[in-house]
Amino acid sequence: MKPLNEMREVVVGGIGITKWGFYENAEWYDFGSEAILNALKDAGMEWKDIQAAFCGSVYQGTGSGHQAIKEIGLTGIPIVNVENACSSCASAFRLAYQTVAAEIYDIVLAVGMEKMPRGPIPSTAFRPWELKLGFNVQPANYANIAVQYMEKTGATIEDFSMVTVKNRRHGALNPNARFQKQVTLEDVMNSRLVATPLRLLHCCPLADGAAAFILCSKNKLKSKHKVVTVAASTLTSGVYGEGYPPADITPSLNYPAAMSLTELSAKQAYETAGYGPENIDVVQAYDTMAPAELWDLEELGFCKPGEAPHLLREGIFDLNGRIPVNTDGGLMSRGHPLGATAGGQIYEIVLQLRGQAGPRQVKDAKVGLAHAMGAGPNSAVTILKC
Amino acid sequence: MNNGEKRIIPLTEGLYTLPALLDEKPHLIGSKCSNCNELYFPKKEKGLCIHCQQKTLEEVELSRQGKIASFTIVLQPPAGGFYHGPVPYAYGYVDLPEGVRVETQFTGNFNNLEIDGDVELVIEKLYENAEGDEFVTYKFKPLKEQK
Repeated sequence: MKPLNEMREVVVGGIGITKWGFYENAEWYDFGSEAILNALKDAGMEWKDIQAAFCGSVYQGTGSGHQAIKEIGLTGIPIVNVENACSSCASAFRLAYQTVAAEIYDIVLAVGMEKMPRGPIPSTAFRPWELKLGFNVQPANYANIAVQYMEKTGATIEDFSMVTVKNRRHGALNPNARFQKQVTLEDVMNSRLVATPLRLLHCCPLADGAAAFILCSKNKLKSKHKVVTVAASTLTSGVYGEGYPPADITPSLNYPAAMSLTELSAKQAYETAGYGPENIDVVQAYDTMAPAELWDLEELGFCKPGEAPHLLREGIFDLNGRIPVNTDGGLMSRGHPLGATAGGQIYEIVLQLRGQAGPRQVKDAKVGLAHAMGAGPNSAVTILKC
Repeated sequence: MNNGEKRIIPLTEGLYTLPALLDEKPHLIGSKCSNCNELYFPKKEKGLCIHCQQKTLEEVELSRQGKIASFTIVLQPPAGGFYHGPVPYAYGYVDLPEGVRVETQFTGNFNNLEIDGDVELVIEKLYENAEGDEFVTYKFKPLKEQK
C-alpha cells in the first residue's frame, strides 16, 4: 500500500456552493448542478475538462448524481454515487482526491447534495426491534453520550449552550447559512426540551443544499486563486468496541476500543499531512448536536479530554481565538443537508485558506481541518493547506 | 378472534425468556463467545462472534440486575411510526455485572433515575392496541422502587 503523501500532489481547482435553506420548488439535482456550475466558474474550467465525478447524497435514491449531472450534460465520464451518511461528501471528496493522486485522472469533480425529506424520517441505521422501542431519536442518542460526558468532565448544560451561541454568532457572518441570526444563552436555555438535558437549540437544523469541488493536478490549475492543496483525506468507518448511539452501537465492556474512530481518522490524517493539531489554524468540527463539538475537539487532539468546555468559555474557539472553530457557523447555522454537510465544511476551509472569508476571515490561516461524522459509523477528516 | 380476552404479546420475540412457572423470573437472552468470552445483547442469531469472527457463540441468560450507565427523558416522539408507546419515556443504557451494556427503556418514576443507580429487569406493557391487546417489552426499573 503506497502512502498517499508519496503520490502526486492534488490541489483544489475550484469550489462552488448554494445558499442552504428550505426550498419547496427545487430538487437536489437543482442544488447539485448549481454548485457544480459555480465550481466550474471558480475554477475557470470548461465542463468538458471534467474526467470523472463522485457524487454524495443520502436520501435521493437511484442515480442521484446522474440526475444532477444530466442538468449540465452527460459527456461519457464515469459518475459514481456515494452514500456514506453525513460523511457522504467527504467520502466523495476523498475518492476524487485518490484518483487524482494515483494519476488515474487529472481533473475530477466531487459534489455533495441533498433535499432533506419533509417530516420525520426514520434512519435505516436502526433494526426493527430498536425502532419499536423508540431508540431512534437522534437527540436522545446524543443525550446519552452527553450525560456520560458531563459525569466524566463536569461540563454543564450552559457549556453546551455556549457552543450554539458561538456558532450562531459566526453563522451571522455567513451569507450561505440557513440561519444568520444570533441567539443568546437565554434563547438556548429557554428552547423546548427534546431529550434531557438537550433542548431544541442544541440540535442543528436541517437544510437543503449542495457543495462542489474540482480537484486536479497542479499543472491543470486554471484559476488565479491562492493555491490550496489537499494534505490529507481520511475515512474511518467504525472500530470494534466503541459505542456509537446514533447508529445504535453499544460499546464493549470487555474489549473497549483502544482508540475511537474520530481519534483514529485524525491520527491517520495528521500522519499523512505531516501536521499535528498544533499546526491547524482553522477547524470545522462536527456540531450536529452542540455538545458533540466539545468532545470532537478533544478527540481530534486540540485539547486534553475534558478541557474543551473550559477553553470554550475562555474564547479559544471564537473567530479571533487561538483555535477558531466552525467559523462559518457550523451545522448549527448552515443547517444539515446530510449528503452535502461535509462539503460545506471543506468549502469554508478553502475560503479561509484563500483569504476569501470576508468578515469572518481568520488571519493568516495556512492549514485547516474539517471533520464530519455520520451514522454507519463514519469519521472523515480532511486537512487542506496553502 | 380473541373472544374478548385481551392477549399479552411480546413486542419483539427472542429478547427475553418467558417463564413457564409463576415464581420464575424473566431474563434477557444474550450471546457469549466460548473463544474470547465477549458478551452481546441481544443474542446474535447467526452465532458469529463479531469480535473474534469465530462461530462460537452460545445463548446465555443475563443477570437481572445492573447499574445505569446513562439515561435521557425523551420528549420528542420517534420518527417513522414504529413506536407506539407513551411519550415522554426514559431511555438509556444499563451495565450488567458480567460485562455487557444493554440498551433499554426505564420504567417507574423518572426522578429515581441516576447514573450508577441500581436497576432490575421487569417485563411491562409498552402500549395497548385498539382491541385491548397488550404489547409488552423488557425494561429496567430502579431497585429503590422494588418492593
